[in-house]
Amino acid sequence: MYVYRIMLLLVFCGYLLSPLLMTGWGQPGNAWYRPFLIWGALIALTLWLEQKRALDER
Amino acid sequence: MSAELVSLVLLGLGYLSALFATASAVERGWIPRRLVHHPLIGILALGVYANAWAVIGSLGVAHQRGFGYLAYYLGAAGAFVLAPVLLLPLQRMTRTHQLSSLADLFAFRFRSRWVGTCVTLLSLVAVMPLLAMQVEAMRHAIHRYTDAASPGLLSLILCALIALFAILFGARHTHVHRRYDGLTAAIGLESLIKLVAFLGLGAFALYAIFDGPGDLQHWLDGPGRVHQAQASQFDAAQWRTLLLLFFAAALLMPHMFHVTFARPLSRRTLLSAGWGLPLVLLLMALPVPLVLWAGQRMGVADDIQGAAYVIFALSDSPAVTALAFVAVLAATCGTLILSALALAGMVLNHLVLVAHPPVEHPDLYRWLRWLRRGLIGAIILAGWLFAQAVDANTELTRLGLVAVVGMAQCLPGLLALLYWPGANRKGVMTGLGLGVAIWCAGLWLPLLSDLPPLLAPLDALLGLLGDEAVTDSPAWYPVALVSLGANGLSLILVSLITPTSAGERAAAEACSVDAVIRPKRLPLNLADSDDVRRRLAMALGDEVAEREVTRALASLHQSAKDARPYALRRLRDRIQANLSGLMGPSVAQDIVDHYLPYRRDGRAPKEDIHFVESRLEAYRSRLTGLARELDELRRHHRRMLTRLPVGLCAFGDDGEVLMWNDALAELSEISGEEIIGAHRQALPAPWAELLGTILESDKDHLYQEAVELPRGLRYVSLLKASLVDEPAADAAGGTVILVEDHSEMKWLENELIHAARLASIGQMSAGVAHEIGNPITGISSLAQNLRYDTTDPHVLETAEQIQTLTKRVSRIVGSLVGFAHGGRHVTGSDFAPVSARHLADQALHLLKLARKSDDVRYDNRCPARLDITGDEQRLLQVLINLLSNARDASPANGLVVIDAGEEGERHWLSVTDQGPGIDPSVRENLFEPFTTTKPPSQGTGLGLALVVSIVAEHQGKVEVESPLPGQAGGTRIQVWLPSPDVHRPAGDMPIHEPNPDR
Repeated sequence: MYVYRIMLLLVFCGYLLSPLLMTGWGQPGNAWYRPFLIWGALIALTLWLEQKRALDER
Repeated sequence: MSAELVSLVLLGLGYLSALFATASAVERGWIPRRLVHHPLIGILALGVYANAWAVIGSLGVAHQRGFGYLAYYLGAAGAFVLAPVLLLPLQRMTRTHQLSSLADLFAFRFRSRWVGTCVTLLSLVAVMPLLAMQVEAMRHAIHRYTDAASPGLLSLILCALIALFAILFGARHTHVHRRYDGLTAAIGLESLIKLVAFLGLGAFALYAIFDGPGDLQHWLDGPGRVHQAQASQFDAAQWRTLLLLFFAAALLMPHMFHVTFARPLSRRTLLSAGWGLPLVLLLMALPVPLVLWAGQRMGVADDIQGAAYVIFALSDSPAVTALAFVAVLAATCGTLILSALALAGMVLNHLVLVAHPPVEHPDLYRWLRWLRRGLIGAIILAGWLFAQAVDANTELTRLGLVAVVGMAQCLPGLLALLYWPGANRKGVMTGLGLGVAIWCAGLWLPLLSDLPPLLAPLDALLGLLGDEAVTDSPAWYPVALVSLGANGLSLILVSLITPTSAGERAAAEACSVDAVIRPKRLPLNLADSDDVRRRLAMALGDEVAEREVTRALASLHQSAKDARPYALRRLRDRIQANLSGLMGPSVAQDIVDHYLPYRRDGRAPKEDIHFVESRLEAYRSRLTGLARELDELRRHHRRMLTRLPVGLCAFGDDGEVLMWNDALAELSEISGEEIIGAHRQALPAPWAELLGTILESDKDHLYQEAVELPRGLRYVSLLKASLVDEPAADAAGGTVILVEDHSEMKWLENELIHAARLASIGQMSAGVAHEIGNPITGISSLAQNLRYDTTDPHVLETAEQIQTLTKRVSRIVGSLVGFAHGGRHVTGSDFAPVSARHLADQALHLLKLARKSDDVRYDNRCPARLDITGDEQRLLQVLINLLSNARDASPANGLVVIDAGEEGERHWLSVTDQGPGIDPSVRENLFEPFTTTKPPSQGTGLGLALVVSIVAEHQGKVEVESPLPGQAGGTRIQVWLPSPDVHRPAGDMPIHEPNPDR
């Protein structure tokens, strides 16, 4: 269950802090693909947590 | 017909044909099941979330709000990232109770058909703008692709084809939870097409309009900055609200709920969707800014309408436009199909069947199937009509937001359903009523009319609360905030101040994520599955009842003959769940409650421990951390009880068997599996009576009760203890009983009594010997005197015989005393050489005194010169006992042979008869006292025991051979005695070897 708690915490923090990220994305001079890179990294983290959970359940 | 129109018809038909072909190929089994059930297909099917908003609406939002368009994707991704804590519990609930829609879930949790009906009506009303958005997107796509004069009519034809597909592949089975692999695969294919088409457009924009990422970045840092500056970002509050709304939409939109929970996505697929769907959404979101920036560079996306449909203006190339059209078609079709299927099920279960219960319908399945098909067509048509009713210039995102805010009204109820057992139906209804009223007035009604949106009071209210964002905010924002706030608050307040019914509490336990599910053991007024069938037939008719009972039994792997209360409870639950999938939880519960009711006997129902354990076993692999450790502990304790080498069973207060361990299963020859969950009175004899005796008795034990078991008469002792420590209403209660097989102990006790009797006889024989000894001594003296008083040889011989016999009597009595006082035997110092032949003659002579020896022939074959060493009188006693046994066993005119010999350092004497042989039943105890097959008046059973005792005194042994080799009968008893020079102290040599098979 501790993996689920990490996930909950992650999503909730992401929810609260997302306006800051969004403001940063729109700044001129930033690479246009930056939001997608961050998003991709979060997907990779979720995949890692999911595999960890699957190992725990074995 | 223009070339574009022909192309459109070909594209539309080709696309739909591809869907039909895929669905058919899957349903016919042409595509391997492994591939069809792969999580990737499920994840792609979940990609139906990306509808017209994703391919058209997002471009408009990106034009206005920059990267704010990502809220649509990130909100849904957040919902699926939380799959383990949010989606899995919902999936467990929907599967267990066969709930196929949000309305089913609400009606089940809040035990109210009204709640289900309200959620259905809300869904119906809220989804219309969503369907209209798809139809509008389709209409615009047709218009921009073909420039046709009547795109509305063409969109209606497309809608009709989509409805046909949904009817053919989505309403084939009556039970919603049957596998719809074909439809799932087709929706997955749609997502794939949509993804590929949109990524293709993005790639075209990046590499055909721009010269790759570098050129794009250069443009963005230069001329493009003006366009970016025109976009105003969402403020933080609006952004968070949008995220929340799309988070709710991913769960609550009927088509999303349908594809996630009603379609049998595996647990693995759902967990994989935690990262898989965000990835799909990332890929869908990626082309949006690329296409928009390309349009801005080309100068075709300067206003919102232009930006929204920029995919059709990227190029004059028919291939690019066709790609754009296919992307729109794929994005809209899936939503239309799944929304129609989901809403048809909800309307059927919560409006039609509630208003017109299907009791005793002649052909229920067919009627339900056609009703569902009709509803699917009607809903798609309603969506098209709604699109016609809405102002043609309405932004697609406005339609989408109206739908999303409407369905979000179920979010407080859903969260309460999962996490707050205290919520009740009054709270939910009040919250829904208030929230929906605000939403309708603020967003939905203004779509259809020019009525001024009733926002002024809301703006004023939010302004009072200090939310400055409202001042210049779009309509959806204050409506969403106020409606959801009012909804949630009223749900909490009303639930707190109004009572929650017992049924709601029970359902809340079943639905709550954290609460322990504690199914109750309620008594049923049902005898067996036939009884269930009969009663169900009263509601559903014979055929449907038969099929539903058979289906439930098959899914439970249960026999129709299983009449255990536990089995009948499971059957009832399964039937209710199956009927719920067929006609919704409200109608299913009404039917089951009415026709298969529980018996209310006033007692508080107890927990169904066996069911809880079964479920824990089934879910074991899913337990982690502390729960896993606790389960290991539970299994360890259970194993201890199961493997306990003493019989153990446990009964509930209602007499139901809760446990029956291995030792008891072995003793009773009744396995635990077939008896656990049965009532005590249903146990086979003698257990029902025996266990009933101790359960109803005030005593806590029964000692050595004689019971007739399959393996024979056994003696069992029972001990009981109550399982209730204190009178708690929710305690499991019951009684545990230990059953010990005391048969061997009982037999040992009998042996002990027997030994005590022998000891008494020994003591008596000492007295008898003393009493007999005196007259015998007198008789012997008189016979001695007689020898001096006469010279008559006959008299002298008689006197001699009297003396011999009196000596023998004395020795017999002495032997009896010696036997009785075991160990008081003669020692080697009294031994002398005795002629075996003489000894045998003497024994025969004495034996012939008895008249019954007349009809038996004796043959003394002992060698004349063979001397054996021992006490002559006691060896004579041995021979007499052996010969008398041989005589009694011999048939008339039978031959008894006495023989002797020498083998090494041992001598032997043997007596062989031609009798029937030794009875097998006495073989084991042949040398034990009182072992005999003779009638009570003819034998005491002491003869052979005395022989063994005497031979043991001589340090010899006795061997028995019966039947004789090569013969059907006959017995040979052989006495082995050591030669004089090998006599050792007593106790160093085996006394005898009962080796009857030699």
